[in-house]
Amino acid sequence: MINLLFFGRLGDLAKDAPTCIASLESDATPLGIRQMMKADHPELSKALSEPQVLVSVNKMIVKWDQPLFEGDELAFLPPVTGG
Amino acid sequence: MSDLVCVQADDFSLADEYQRLRNINAQVGAVVTFCGLVRDFESSAGEPKSKKLVNYLTLQHYPGMTETLLDDIVMQAKARWDLVAVTVIHRIGNLAPNDQIVFVGVASEHRKAAFDAAQFLMDYLKTKATFWKKLTAEGSEQWLDAKSSDSDAAAKWSEDSHD
Repeated sequence: MINLLFFGRLGDLAKDAPTCIASLESDATPLGIRQMMKADHPELSKALSEPQVLVSVNKMIVKWDQPLFEGDELAFLPPVTGG
Repeated sequence: MSDLVCVQADDFSLADEYQRLRNINAQVGAVVTFCGLVRDFESSAGEPKSKKLVNYLTLQHYPGMTETLLDDIVMQAKARWDLVAVTVIHRIGNLAPNDQIVFVGVASEHRKAAFDAAQFLMDYLKTKATFWKKLTAEGSEQWLDAKSSDSDAAAKWSEDSHD
């Protein structure tokens, strides 16, 4: 199983989206998961596809084709606005 | 460890944080502090002239990742300048106009390092640390967009030669 986290505006769009993926395919990637959401959550999938959105695995920024493993924490991060 | 990095809902005391930096050791010859506050008016993106009256800001962050990123930013500042100690405090949750939102304090032997490092820390914090702001203004909610002026300010530090 992997956990999914959506921050900022993505969190509002992900209210009905899954918070985890129970059975992970062996070639799963953040990109694959984003594409998987297209059917049931088109608005979220579109927002995730914006070029400024970053993705992290286990709290480290990674590329969208990073392989995912059992137990990973996958987070989708819109542009940050702290300070 | 003389540095302090903290993400908290609670308010902080500028006087206490200044005293902590001042009293670290007698090498300290300069303390620069910066405090960011919530403004009562916010312009919406692309409409700089239409300002909305702010009810409050909601600060969200990614627990665990934010602290790691802030530690890393502090380490970068200490690698770049000769600093005695650094404090970064960032608040989360609901904050009203005039509330304190962020504190950066730098203690060093000489003032230039403290001034420059404080500016660097704020510029990096704005563009690198995993915080998101939701604005509630005149009853409606809106996630704030990142400002290109903030990215430009942070990018400037990677162009600059080591000083």
